[in-house]
Amino acid sequence: MNRIRLLGQWLDDRLALGRLYEHTIGHRIPASSASWWYVFGSATLVCLIIQLVTGVCLALVYVPSPDDAYASLEYLDYEQPFGWYLRGLHYWGSNFMVALVTIHMVQIFLFGAYKYPRELTWMVGCALFLATIGMAFTGQTMRFDQDAYWGVEIIVSILGRLPGVGEYATHLLQGGPIVGAETLSRFFALHVFVIPGALIGLLVIHIRLVLVLGISEYPVAGKHVEPGAYRDDYEGVVEKTGIRLMPEGGGKDLVFGALVLLAIVLCAALIGPKIPNGPADPTLIQTVPRPDFYFLSLFAAFALMPPYLETVVIVYVMPLAIVLLFAVPFISRGPERHPSRRPGAVIAVTVVLLSLFTLAWEGVQSPWSPDMDAWSGVPVQPRFVRGRSPLAHAGATILQAKQCRNCHALDGAGGKRGPDLAGVATRLTEDQLIRQVLQGGGNMPAYGKHLAPHEVTALVAFLGTLHPENQPPARSAASSSSSPTGFPEPR
Amino acid sequence: MIPRLTLLCLVVASTFACDGLPGRPNPDDRYQRPEDVKDFGALYATNCSGCHGATGQLGPATPVGDPLYLALAAPEYLRTIIAGGVAGTAMPRFGQEAGGTLTPEQIAILASGLGARWSSREAEKLAAKAPGLVAPVGGAVPGHDGQVERGRGVYGQFCASCHGPDGRGGEKAGSIVHAAYLGLVSDQGLRTTTLVGRRDLGMPNWHDLGQRPMAPGEIGDVVAWMASHRAPAP
Ligand code: HEC
Ligand code: HEC
Ligand code: HEC
Repeated sequence: MNRIRLLGQWLDDRLALGRLYEHTIGHRIPASSASWWYVFGSATLVCLIIQLVTGVCLALVYVPSPDDAYASLEYLDYEQPFGWYLRGLHYWGSNFMVALVTIHMVQIFLFGAYKYPRELTWMVGCALFLATIGMAFTGQTMRFDQDAYWGVEIIVSILGRLPGVGEYATHLLQGGPIVGAETLSRFFALHVFVIPGALIGLLVIHIRLVLVLGISEYPVAGKHVEPGAYRDDYEGVVEKTGIRLMPEGGGKDLVFGALVLLAIVLCAALIGPKIPNGPADPTLIQTVPRPDFYFLSLFAAFALMPPYLETVVIVYVMPLAIVLLFAVPFISRGPERHPSRRPGAVIAVTVVLLSLFTLAWEGVQSPWSPDMDAWSGVPVQPRFVRGRSPLAHAGATILQAKQCRNCHALDGAGGKRGPDLAGVATRLTEDQLIRQVLQGGGNMPAYGKHLAPHEVTALVAFLGTLHPENQPPARSAASSSSSPTGFPEPR
Repeated sequence: MIPRLTLLCLVVASTFACDGLPGRPNPDDRYQRPEDVKDFGALYATNCSGCHGATGQLGPATPVGDPLYLALAAPEYLRTIIAGGVAGTAMPRFGQEAGGTLTPEQIAILASGLGARWSSREAEKLAAKAPGLVAPVGGAVPGHDGQVERGRGVYGQFCASCHGPDGRGGEKAGSIVHAAYLGLVSDQGLRTTTLVGRRDLGMPNWHDLGQRPMAPGEIGDVVAWMASHRAPAP
């Protein structure tokens, strides 16, 4: 016992551990900051640590070359004991890290914690946010499967549109004129050296700032932040009612951090890693590429945007949005911190989050991408086959063979690019159906040149049967032809 | 302190006892390049179910899952059709040499898998009595051999009760003489339907259509009669 104490004293004497404690996790914080709202930053740090540990382990097996990357992931998934679990931890750790850093930012924004004197803390935080997103993106690329491939293609085409530097930037990122072997090496270097290095450096500054400037106290409506008076005020509060971060103040951080760890461990064990969806190969067109969740909104935004807007958004809107994010402390300079006194801030957060979620939802559905296998792989449901005439049956096979089904669902099954055709006969008359098929329009190609007259007749006979039994098909007043159901057939 | 300890134990336990957990990737979900798929069920579902129905029946196209059909169709014949399609109809060419996506091996798996999945003993017994699935249809040209004339009679005897007095549709079934329909179906397609029926939709096979089974010649005749309603190719 005595020996250990002696050793401790010896170490403390040389390393000044006591003083280190005093200045770091032992420093005093306002009692009001020991709140459940203040746990997200430290939870993000927990994720980062998980990512570092699991990332180093993954790097032991992972081979950053296009031919072997995919195989090394399959090795981890199916051969190496617990390899899949390691991938699961890293995958879920990254999901949680992106989510938590975002929540952390929203909380800081809503609580006005970026205001004097913590402007720089906010800006470094924004840089950390971007670094995290960069890690997530380059990490997704490490799978080098089809999602990764298309993700890189998209980013490269975005960079390529930047005026002046576009060409150099894409070349630098791709390591050549096209996405290939060099590209993966570049992304690997970014993912394991460049961005983590930057991230840790920024994090040191971020934490240094937090320690020097103190953790903001819980906002109180009507209590103003006045540059000049604020610091003395804050010091007074900490002096009088302050508590030590550890062990008094940080209990909630510990509990929440443990919960996050548990959640990641459970997600990895129960849901598992993302299985790579086929090697990156532009000749495979069957799959619908879809990015990991944090990029779904961006993915959806670009898919839905009319093409002429894309360049405007890439060149002006996105850089402007990033500049605005960094400049928040200098734009919003009012003395109030409490959200109830800053309705503008609350509205801004609501609008941004709602649009991100809506876009992400669209991204999950991705109605704009045709379902390339539907024509041969999504059956015409039996209820659309029964009670139909031979001609309508032939029409249904044409609907499949001409790949209409890749864009059009029947009662939910099939592509979602065009309207569901299950009730189309109640909306369109026979003549309108013919016109739509021949002339297309509104994102639908014109099929006039690609269909023989028989095929059009059969198609329309089938489409004409697509109405609920108790609801008659649409008829134009002029049309005198008998039932477009084709059952029984006229003629 | 106790709850934290429990947490820690949970974490450690789940880290070391997890090789049987649901998160573990199932080798069956492993991505396969389309040309590496060797499983009949998967091949059929992605390539054929769209037109022929998920169970080989109740799709808009020929019920290739009908046991009688499978008892009659030799794997050789199926391979040829799958690889080369049926010209003039919606049945695509799947063979790689014909511009399709399936390898010869995959086509062989499909051809033998159909029978393995859906054939039945009973149907095989019935098939022993049946005329061949494939037979020269004879002249589909109107008037040839008097076949079409005979076919009209066969139609009246076996088919009119459902498809109407002149083939243009009746109470129980639709028209089989519509020029557009006939323009999209092959003579073999007509023969197959006449022989095998569409039992999934209420049309019996050649054996049960009328008072007695149809004779081999009668099948050829009625097909010729139907085909005679084709509009001349433009
Ligand atoms: C018991 C009633 C019945 C009889 C008898 C009958 N059919 Fe049918 N047939 C149907 C039904 C039901 C269909 C499904 C299409 C429909 O409902 O119109 C059908 C469909 C067809 C088809 C088109 C297949 C398809 O995919 O739509 C052909 C060709 C055909 N029949 C020929 C014949 C011939 C030739 C005969 C006489 C040898 C005959 N049918 C006798 C009920 C019958
Ligand atoms: C590239 C995707 C695509 C393909 C392939 C396609 N469509 Fe469309 N289709 C659309 C879109 C998009 C619309 C909506 C057009 C509009 O808003 O005016 C549409 C509209 C329609 C409509 C009108 C639906 C309504 O409720 O108003 C019909 C009918 C239709 N398509 C039939 C077909 C047929 C038949 C084929 C195959 C020969 C086909 N489509 C192939 C995309 C497609
Ligand atoms: C786009 C629709 C479509 C798809 C997909 C399709 N078929 Fe067909 N198939 C048809 C049609 C229509 C016919 C009838 C052709 C005719 O009139 O002879 C047919 C006919 C056939 C026949 C011949 C039936 C006979 O009369 O002997 C076979 C066998 C067959 N299909 C097997 C398949 C298999 C196996 C697949 C999947 C690899 C497939 N089909 C995919 C539409 C399709």
